[in-house]
Amino acid sequence: MTQRISIDPVTRLEGHGKIEIFLDDQGNVANSYFQIPELRGFERFVVGRPIEEMPLLTNRICGVCPEAHHMAAAKAADAVYHVDPPRTGKMLRELLYSAFYCTDHTTHFYALGGPDFVMGPDAPVAERNILGVIHKVGLEIGGKVIQMRKYGHNVVEMIGGRKVHPCTSIPGGITKGITEEQRKEIEEMGRWAIEFAQFSLKLFNDIVLSNKSYVDLILGDVYTHRTYYMGLVDGNNKVNFYDGKVRVADPNGKEFVKYEPKDYAQHVAEHVEPWTYLKFPYLKNVGWKGFVDGIDSGIYMATPLSRLNAADGMATPLAQEQYDKFYATLGGKPVHQRLAIHWARLIELLYAAERWVELVTDPEITSPNVHTKPTQKPTEGIGIVEAPRGTLTHHYWTDELGRVTKANLIVGTTNNYAPIQMSTKKAAESLIKDGNVNEGLLNMVEMAFRAYDPCFGCATHSLPGQMPLEITIRDADGNPLEVLKQFC
Amino acid sequence: MKTIIVGLGNPILGDDGVGWKVVEELTRQMPTDLSVGLECLSVGGIGLMEHLIGYDRAIIIDAFIADKEDLGSILIQKLDNLPNYSAFHISSAHDTSLQNAIELGKRMGAQLPVDVTVIGIAIQRISEFGENLSPPVAECVPQAAHIALNLLKENVTNSREESHPHG
Repeated sequence: MTQRISIDPVTRLEGHGKIEIFLDDQGNVANSYFQIPELRGFERFVVGRPIEEMPLLTNRICGVCPEAHHMAAAKAADAVYHVDPPRTGKMLRELLYSAFYCTDHTTHFYALGGPDFVMGPDAPVAERNILGVIHKVGLEIGGKVIQMRKYGHNVVEMIGGRKVHPCTSIPGGITKGITEEQRKEIEEMGRWAIEFAQFSLKLFNDIVLSNKSYVDLILGDVYTHRTYYMGLVDGNNKVNFYDGKVRVADPNGKEFVKYEPKDYAQHVAEHVEPWTYLKFPYLKNVGWKGFVDGIDSGIYMATPLSRLNAADGMATPLAQEQYDKFYATLGGKPVHQRLAIHWARLIELLYAAERWVELVTDPEITSPNVHTKPTQKPTEGIGIVEAPRGTLTHHYWTDELGRVTKANLIVGTTNNYAPIQMSTKKAAESLIKDGNVNEGLLNMVEMAFRAYDPCFGCATHSLPGQMPLEITIRDADGNPLEVLKQFC
Repeated sequence: MKTIIVGLGNPILGDDGVGWKVVEELTRQMPTDLSVGLECLSVGGIGLMEHLIGYDRAIIIDAFIADKEDLGSILIQKLDNLPNYSAFHISSAHDTSLQNAIELGKRMGAQLPVDVTVIGIAIQRISEFGENLSPPVAECVPQAAHIALNLLKENVTNSREESHPHG
C-alpha cells in the first residue's frame, strides 16, 4: 500500500505550492511531485492595452519582485518602439535595479534561506525564522536588515517615483533624473550597502562555512544536479542583472550558447506535463529528455548560482574576490550543488552594492538627458533582465498604435521548475528511508527548493478554463488516487 | 491615537483587490475631522510592518479564501488572534509573517501599533487577472467600509475617554 506524505502549505513560499511524496511498501520514496497553482491569464489581460502601460501593470503581477517586471517590460517597450534610451537613462534604471537587488537578496537570506543554516535544518519550525536568527546572532542583525531594506526602498522611490512599485521607466528611458543632492544621498547609502554585504558574507563564513556538517550538506550528493546554467553577461562575460546577452554554460562549465535577448525563442522551449499547469522551459537545441540531468538533457537553471556559473566572473572587485573564493572552496567551476545558491546570492548582494556605488559615482549620472523620444512605429519587442530568481523575459507584439496584441512572459521561477522538481524528489529519496520521517527531514526536503528562491505567484501563463483549485494525487505510476483542495 | 487603515491585495487580480476598493470607498466617506492614514498596498510581512511604523493603531483590510457558502462574509479579528502566517493570504518567500515582522520591528525599537485589527472579506478566487470584483464581493465593499468607520469612531471615543476619564 502506498503511503502519502503531504507538506502543505510550503512554509514561507510565495503563493501556494504543494509537495506530494509517495512512499512504497518499504517506506521509501516511490515518487514526488511539486505542484504549483499559479496565477493565470495575465497574457490575456494585457491584450488591447497600450505598451506604455506594461511597466506599470506587470509590476503588479507579483508583490515580491515588481522592480524586475518593471524593468523587463520597460526594455521590451523600448524594443517595441525601436528606441535606445540615453546612457544616463539606462544607468538610472540599473541603479534602481541594483538597490532593489540588495533589498531582495538581503530579505531572502535573512528571512527565508538563512534560518535553515543559522538555526540548523533540524531546529524547530517556530525558531527557523528571522526572529530565531537575531536571537542567535544578535539583535543588531535585525536592525541592519531593516536598514538595508529602508535604503533600498529609498533609492527605488527617488528614481522610480514610488516605493516598491516603480513607475518612471517609459519607452525610451526614464521620466526624470536625479539631483546632485540626491546623488550624494544615494552614494552614502550604497557605501553602507557594501559594508552590509561584506558583513553578511562574513556571517555566512562564520556560521555556515566553519561548520563542517553544513559544508558537507552543501557538498553532498543530495542537492546536486549536473544541469545547464543560464544568466545575463556584459561585454566581458561578467554577471550583469540589467542588460547584456544571455549566456548558457553546459554541465562541464563550457559556453554552450550566447544570444541576444531578441533571439530567446530560438533557444528556449517549454515542456508541458499533465499533472501541472506550469510549463517546464528547456534548451530547445538540446531537447527535453525528462526530469534528468546531464549534458544530453535540456534542463537548465537560472539562479544566482547559475549566473555565476554562466559568467567568467563579477564586474566589481570585492565581488570578484568572493567569486574566486567560492569556486576555490567548492572545487572549481561549475558548482552543481544547489545549496550553494545561498552563498552565490550573497556574492551577488555584494556585487549589487558595488555596482550601486559605481553607477551613482559616474559623472553622467546627474545628466538631464534621461529619455529618447520614440519616433518609429511600434511593432514587437523583447526585454530580458535577471530577476533575483532567474532570467525574466517579456515579449510583446503590438498593433501600429502600440496596443498589445499578444504577450509572452517567462518569469524567473519558471526557468527553475524542472530543477526544483528534480531537487525535491532527490532530496526526498535521500532523506526518507525505510519509513523514517521526521520534521527535520521534511524541512530538508523543503530546503531543496527554498534555495531556488521560488516565487510562483507570478509564474503566469495563459490557458483556457478555470484556475485549478484542486490537486490530483497520483501513485508511483502516475495514476490519480484522489483530488484535494489546494488552498489552506 | 494615530491610526492607519491599509487596504491589502493586488488591484489587478480580481477579488484579491477588494481591500483596495474598501480603502477607496473610505477615502470618499472619511469625515474631515478624522485624521487617519489611508494606504493601498501589495506587500506583506516586513514590507507591511514598515508602513505601520509611527502609528498607534492599524486596521488592515484584506481578502481571504473561503468556501463558496461563505463568499462575501466579513470577519473582524485582532491580528494577535489570527494564525501566525500573515494577514490572510499574503505571505512571501522573501518575508516573514506580519506578526513576526511586528515583533522584529518592536525589538528594533520601532514604534508600531499596539492594536492591529484585520477586516477580512471572504472570496473564492484570487488566481485570475482582472480589475473588477465579482458581484458578491463588490457588495461587501460598503459594509466593510462602514465597519472600518465604526472601528475608527469607537477608537476615537475610547481615546477621548482615556484622555478625559472624568468627562
